[in-house]
Amino acid sequence: MQILRFLVLIAATAPAAFAQTYTHRGFLETRGTFYPETALNDSARAVGESLFRYEGFYTRSNVLQFAGALDFRADTHRQVERGFKLSWQDREIQRPLAAVRRLSATYDRGPITLEAGKQFVRWGKTDIVTPTDRFAPRDFLTVVDNEFLAITAARLTYEKGANTIEAVWAPRFTPSRTPLADQRWARPLPQTATIRELTPAFPGGPQSGIRWNHAGAIEYEFSFFQGFNHLPSFEAEARFTGTGLEIDTQRFYPKMLMAGADVAVPTTYFTVKAEAAYFSSSDDRADEYALYVIQLERQTGEWFFVGGYAGDATTRRGTSTATFAPDRGLSKTILGRAGYTIDANRSVAFESAVRQNGDGLWLKGEYSQAFGQHWRATLNVTLIRGEIDDFLGQYRRNSHALVILRYSF
Amino acid sequence: MNSVVLMFALSSFLLQQDPRQIVEEAQRRAASQSQRYEGTLQVINAQKKITEKRWQYARIGSHGASKSILRFTAPAEVKGVALLVVNHPERASDQWMWTPNINRDRRIALQDRSSRFFATDFSFEDLEERDTNQFDYKLLGEETIDGAVCWKLQSTPKQSKVSQYSQSYVWIRKDNYVLMQIENYSKSELVRRARYSDLRNVQGIWTAHQVDMHDLKRDSHTILKTDKLQYNLPMKDEAFTLQALRRQQ
Repeated sequence: MQILRFLVLIAATAPAAFAQTYTHRGFLETRGTFYPETALNDSARAVGESLFRYEGFYTRSNVLQFAGALDFRADTHRQVERGFKLSWQDREIQRPLAAVRRLSATYDRGPITLEAGKQFVRWGKTDIVTPTDRFAPRDFLTVVDNEFLAITAARLTYEKGANTIEAVWAPRFTPSRTPLADQRWARPLPQTATIRELTPAFPGGPQSGIRWNHAGAIEYEFSFFQGFNHLPSFEAEARFTGTGLEIDTQRFYPKMLMAGADVAVPTTYFTVKAEAAYFSSSDDRADEYALYVIQLERQTGEWFFVGGYAGDATTRRGTSTATFAPDRGLSKTILGRAGYTIDANRSVAFESAVRQNGDGLWLKGEYSQAFGQHWRATLNVTLIRGEIDDFLGQYRRNSHALVILRYSF
Repeated sequence: MNSVVLMFALSSFLLQQDPRQIVEEAQRRAASQSQRYEGTLQVINAQKKITEKRWQYARIGSHGASKSILRFTAPAEVKGVALLVVNHPERASDQWMWTPNINRDRRIALQDRSSRFFATDFSFEDLEERDTNQFDYKLLGEETIDGAVCWKLQSTPKQSKVSQYSQSYVWIRKDNYVLMQIENYSKSELVRRARYSDLRNVQGIWTAHQVDMHDLKRDSHTILKTDKLQYNLPMKDEAFTLQALRRQQ
């Protein structure tokens, strides 16, 4: 509650008290998702959601800045919790009704910047799949329309000329949010068994990472991370009882070591971006693997194109029963994104992922139009096809249309 | 006879003028250690539909070696989107765009600089500051713009300068060396015209407070009006880095 009081105090008093140094923005967004097909574990064809987001930035002096943001949500499909509490850690299975999206202080002195608190940390250069982006858990409740979650961390950055060194220390783990078991974005569980999900085993201990970025004519970056995978693995234990089969499942987040690098090379016609990382673990239950992406990017006239390929190579199979890994699920895949700006208010965008073996396909088309200074409407149509065993194909009954109406302020 | 003498005298005078000196003098008079303003942009498309945007602009350093940050303040949905431009005297600038809703910066590659900047009629390249040494100049004569007599110069990028424009025509006022108009050509086609107006003397520097950028292919205009313009404010280099781009939201 102290956090809430602090944020409300900033929101209420800052514009008047610090008119020169306080800025804010936010939006109220309502979205309706329409599924033409029901899923085996979800009969709903329409889902409504609303999100109110408020972000405030207070610059106390040239060296000190505070940033805070709050989210308030409601929905028709119980993806959002019904009880009110202000979430800080984002460890809930459902989306919290109210959450501190961000709350951090930034101290800046010469080449050194220190940011502490709940914040977003983004590493890597590629789009769609970003192997080195290890401090960036996401809300994957609806897998293909996901959103980043902030982490609690201290981040020290030293910038000198074209070189930046960044060290991150996160004392408490923030997991990615995974699809709800009784909803269409989760793999349906056998009807013949009683499934019981045990309390997740969240890892203790801090995570840390360091990266060196060089922003010269060719931009490159080396990064190292030690901590935990924010995407869960699952262990299951089955037993027969007098009433039938019972399965206990528990999600866990294995230890992870990552060494990665990325590069962006401008050439005459395209910017070539490549990113690769190798992941190892002292936990035998986790896989060890390499994940890599190469993409070409071009902006010309009103068009923006990105096309690439994501691949992986597994060097050790772990013993876990299952994993939820959208990053690896999009490997061995040809990825594409294109956008066209029709005019100052209207744009269209297309995204696609096609598995190289043809077992999975994801296509998204989006039309967006602004009305006046505050309103924007977006229509998004997503087509998913494929085989049930494929990461994309398993969502083949989840093709949908999404209508979004947003008021920004 | 008199007119023949006058023409001869005028052409002799023009021949004596070094076009590079004219441009350098214009730059010298406009030089300042720093600049800040608030800009209002009206994008008027071919159907005369108007969209308004606002940004805050800050610059440190001057021509060819300057750094600037431009940050949108309106409309609400693009509030916080920012562009960092680091100009270099010997080569094209480096540019990065910060998009707060994905918390990432993206480098604007050289081959992408001809794209329109955020649906305005300015391209990314138009937001660079040009260094005189990256261009060759030719004095073409005199013309009158908005009642003011101007030198008309042709500016062609040197090979070291990569530009979407094959050549530009530049009009500089003779009385105060203020830039009045630029016409940018791609091959032989006129693609963009910038007209400068509403001249005011700010801290001893004659400054246009309105720029009308006309994209002739789209028949679209962007009118940039500057407000609260100030020169030589105390600013630090650290406020014009990638970290600063991400920091100041």
